[in-house]
Amino acid sequence: MAVETMTVEVAEASAMGLKAIGAGLAVGLTGIATGIAEMGIGAAAVGATAENKDMFGLALLFTVIPETIVIFGLVVALLLLF
Amino acid sequence: MSRLLIAASKEQLQPVIRELYRRNIFHIEDFVDQKEEAYEGFKIGMPLSGAASVSSEVLRVRSVASSAGIDAASIEPAARVPAGTLRSRIDNELPGIEKEIQSLNAEKTKLDTTLREYGQKIHDLEPFAAAPLPMELYRGYERFYVFAGHIPADVALSVPHEKFFTDKVPGNFLVAIVPLEAKDDVERTLLDARFQAVAIPEETGHPADRIAWYTTEITRLTAEIDKLSGRLAAQKEAHSAFLVACDELLTAEVEQTEVPLRFATTDEAFVAEGWVPSEDVPGLIEALRQATGGKIFVSETEIDYDRDAVPVEYDNPSFSRPTEVLMDVYARPRYREIDPTLMVSLVFPVFFGLILGDVGYGLVLLAMSIGLRKIMKGDAAGRLFDTLRNASISSIFFGILYSEFLGFALPWSPVIFSRHLQIGGHGGGHGPQVAELMIMSVWIGILHITLGRILGMANARRLYHGSHATKVMMANAGWLATMWGLLFIVWSFFALPLMPDMTAFPVIAAGFNATAVLGAVFVVAGVVAIARENVLEVVELPTILSHLLSYARIVAVGLSSVAIAMVVNFIAIGMLIEPQLETLSPLGVIIIIAGLVVFLLGHVLNTGLGLLGGGLHSIRLHYVEFFTKFYKGGGLKYHPFGMKRRFTED
Repeated sequence: MAVETMTVEVAEASAMGLKAIGAGLAVGLTGIATGIAEMGIGAAAVGATAENKDMFGLALLFTVIPETIVIFGLVVALLLLF
Repeated sequence: MSRLLIAASKEQLQPVIRELYRRNIFHIEDFVDQKEEAYEGFKIGMPLSGAASVSSEVLRVRSVASSAGIDAASIEPAARVPAGTLRSRIDNELPGIEKEIQSLNAEKTKLDTTLREYGQKIHDLEPFAAAPLPMELYRGYERFYVFAGHIPADVALSVPHEKFFTDKVPGNFLVAIVPLEAKDDVERTLLDARFQAVAIPEETGHPADRIAWYTTEITRLTAEIDKLSGRLAAQKEAHSAFLVACDELLTAEVEQTEVPLRFATTDEAFVAEGWVPSEDVPGLIEALRQATGGKIFVSETEIDYDRDAVPVEYDNPSFSRPTEVLMDVYARPRYREIDPTLMVSLVFPVFFGLILGDVGYGLVLLAMSIGLRKIMKGDAAGRLFDTLRNASISSIFFGILYSEFLGFALPWSPVIFSRHLQIGGHGGGHGPQVAELMIMSVWIGILHITLGRILGMANARRLYHGSHATKVMMANAGWLATMWGLLFIVWSFFALPLMPDMTAFPVIAAGFNATAVLGAVFVVAGVVAIARENVLEVVELPTILSHLLSYARIVAVGLSSVAIAMVVNFIAIGMLIEPQLETLSPLGVIIIIAGLVVFLLGHVLNTGLGLLGGGLHSIRLHYVEFFTKFYKGGGLKYHPFGMKRRFTED
């Protein structure tokens, strides 16, 4: 039986592995979320900049606002790993 | 800024305009005919005489300059030309230069068109070169029809015919001459075999000879066009300084002749209103008196800050001036508002350095910003590179504190918290102090936001009046109280590293100890103060948490940059170069070179990412988390009437 062969080392290693998976999921999923959120903003921002170059600064600013989501994911991942 | 009203009779219009233009400090407030009581009987002025001819001259100069490809911004001003001599040169020399450049351009365009035509002809003739027929045999028949075109494979025709087929050219080539009455049958057969007809060129002689002739013609034309381009370039070289000077002089004249359109006038007099920096007022009044011989009335009028759009010019120490570019991207401050440029110019580099704290990357960016500053022209670009220079100096400073050089550890242990990750056995030490770094960044957030809210209170006093100002100030204080109250409650329940430990105080009521109760009181009072200004603001309460945590990006983005650097080092050195160095072999040398390429590309990529991450995230923390607390912006840019002359002088 697998359960009987599970030593402390194996348990620790799998706990570490699960943590790594969790960290990966945290960054990956939030990255997807940020991408989806920036999709619409980015398209509109490029359109606005094409019409009026002065919009560039504001357009860039609006586009990076959803970046916070992936930053939170990164923070959670870092806290999980260290 | 002071608001000036200038009134004089119309004879003084020209000297007044010239003096205002020369001084380049008077921001004109356009007169709009709105039937105001004070301006009854005033009309918008007419341009000075000669406006039409000067504008048509400026158009001519600009068209010549653009057809010669001259760009004023890219020309280094040499000695300035006096306006008088330039004026006579415009009359004498400009028509000649204009004719020369335009005829050169026209000739070049003509040759370019012919060149393209000949290229097309060669393209059309190419398939026929495979067939052994001179071109005149393809046309001129009364009883025959000629098919010529590409076909995937040869076909057999059922009618009497002459046929030529070759598969030596791409797409194969088929020529068939058939009697006119069989044309339809043959066409059907050919189309079934996927035949694609090509037009028969109107040429005589053998196609190969014609192609050779056109090719020599093209060589000749190219040489001629090169010669023309050379002459055009010589013209540009010889006259660009003159043309940009003309452009500048005439533009200045156009602006001066058309400015009465922005003044209020009656039949005999005119009134100009506008803004002048307060310290320049006495000098300007004196100059205008002298220019008109005292026949002028100038008075300083009172400013109504709620109604008047006061133009805004920055007034910052030279250290902060480059950062004004970052402010203008967001919005120029209003006239009475606190200008946060100085704060941004100090805090932005610190954030940048905290994120990209690496001596190596800092040095690369420093060299890049100084180098590009020299190459790139233009005010905005220059200021941006100056900002980058300050940021990279801060990056080097924090790199020394973090003890990092391109992801490697420097010979000392980190002075502040370590960011050294355990990747590929490098780093060593006790690993990254992520929790401490995180809390440090939240502390930065707490202080930054507190500063923002305090500025918000100060701004409320400057921008609003009476009870509204008090309410806005109270609301800002309320936000502060709520944030600190929540912090007190958190500190009373959890002992966090690097933060005050208040868990030890005795419990008073419902599990709350003294500091927690104090915190709760703060929160309640704060929420009440916020709601008194605007009840809807209460739904914004969660932003306290999200904005504070948002500062964690300082650590998160920084650590990801460190991680990329260390991974690059591990792949390049640990996996590719080091194992090969032990036993050197010919293949090993190639792998070592590959390792060096990986090292270089990886760090170039990471420098780019670090610049983007460090720059964007630092400025975002200012725009979103800091400015939303106090900054309104939307001030009018101070745009004085006049010109910074580069090529001419009065």
